[in-house]
Amino acid sequence: MHLSDDDIARSISAHSPEGIEALYDRYGGLAHTVALRILSDRGAAEDVVQESFLAVWRRGSTFQPGRGSLRSWICTIVRNRAIDRLRGDRHRTRLDTPIEGESIEPAVTDPWAAVALELNGEEVRKALGELPAEQRQTIELAYYGGYSQSEIAAAMEVPLGTVKGRVRIALDKLRASLADHVETPWQTQ
Amino acid sequence: MADAMSCEEATDLLALDAVGALEVPDREVMERHIATCATCRHAAAQYADLASLLPAALEVVPPPARLRRSLMAQVYAEATAAPRQPWWRRLVDVIPANRAFTAVGAAAVVAAIALGIWGAAGRNSPSAPVAYTVSGTTATGTLAVEPDRTQAVLTVKGLQPLPASKVYEVWLIPSEGSPKGVSFLSPGPGGGAWTAVVQGSLDGYKSIAATVEPAGGSPTPSNTEVLSGQLGES
Repeated sequence: MHLSDDDIARSISAHSPEGIEALYDRYGGLAHTVALRILSDRGAAEDVVQESFLAVWRRGSTFQPGRGSLRSWICTIVRNRAIDRLRGDRHRTRLDTPIEGESIEPAVTDPWAAVALELNGEEVRKALGELPAEQRQTIELAYYGGYSQSEIAAAMEVPLGTVKGRVRIALDKLRASLADHVETPWQTQ
Repeated sequence: MADAMSCEEATDLLALDAVGALEVPDREVMERHIATCATCRHAAAQYADLASLLPAALEVVPPPARLRRSLMAQVYAEATAAPRQPWWRRLVDVIPANRAFTAVGAAAVVAAIALGIWGAAGRNSPSAPVAYTVSGTTATGTLAVEPDRTQAVLTVKGLQPLPASKVYEVWLIPSEGSPKGVSFLSPGPGGGAWTAVVQGSLDGYKSIAATVEPAGGSPTPSNTEVLSGQLGES
């Protein structure tokens, strides 16, 4: 039986183990990919994924549909925990294990999970590839490196206003390319 | 930045927030704005969804099957087991009320009372400095909160050196939910005080603790507490 994201969110809110199971089956691969990209350490990435889903289980759902999709919600939780871990590790030696070339096909049984995992990867790669290098780098420093606005400005030796502009312009360009795939309908301002 | 901001200004901050780069002062301004602006709340959701598409560009690296087994084993075990309070929850629940506690607990009670007053005074004046005392069997220290409340510095004396395979991990313990590993203590030169920077606000957390964990830290604290301290009412 296919569960919608709303069904899963309701199940989590009801403190149902099946809700966590469904959430993991749909977004566990995405969560693991995010954590591994940020931490470049398999053990740490697995810890963060498990810790994130257990936190959702123990705390219940804090998901607010009006503030984004279930996918963006779990991505944010995992990313924040991975960044916390990364910041804690920065004073130690980071294990920069390359993750490229290690990808294997996911053993997915739920076709909807496959959709979530493979979500238009080629289109997103293409959209990102069309961004000017400095905009793409700004996004990557923030999202995967955990750099704050001031840290990005310092690292790229540009004014803070430039960083803000680059992020907004980059996301607006991505929006133009990927609007069909964003779950929250676009609204003209 | 002034509290009042236009939607145009807010949009820059919404975009920064979506990729996790927004800093606390700007976040507070943004949150105040979107609390009263439905258009920007919607824009925030749009940017969040966009950011969540970024990982789609990565080559998917599926987690090992053991991760699912481990996660669901724990979930189902907790779902069926009788509630049992872990040590950190007992710490939260017991310290304010139970005087018949260990020496560490007694010290924490004193610190909780004294610093609860201090912390309350600090909350009445957001720019006032706030500090909390932490203590353990051999360790004593202070958690000093920056005036802008965006970070705090934990300074501890009396901790034993650790082998390279171990770290002192710092945890914030919330009123509800699981402890959050937030930092690691680093030894000072010459074996002096240990320090750790705790990023972010302490709002919503009832206490702080440190435990001995494997290098790299643990997802949840082990039962090896070396110090703790109350943060006052959340």
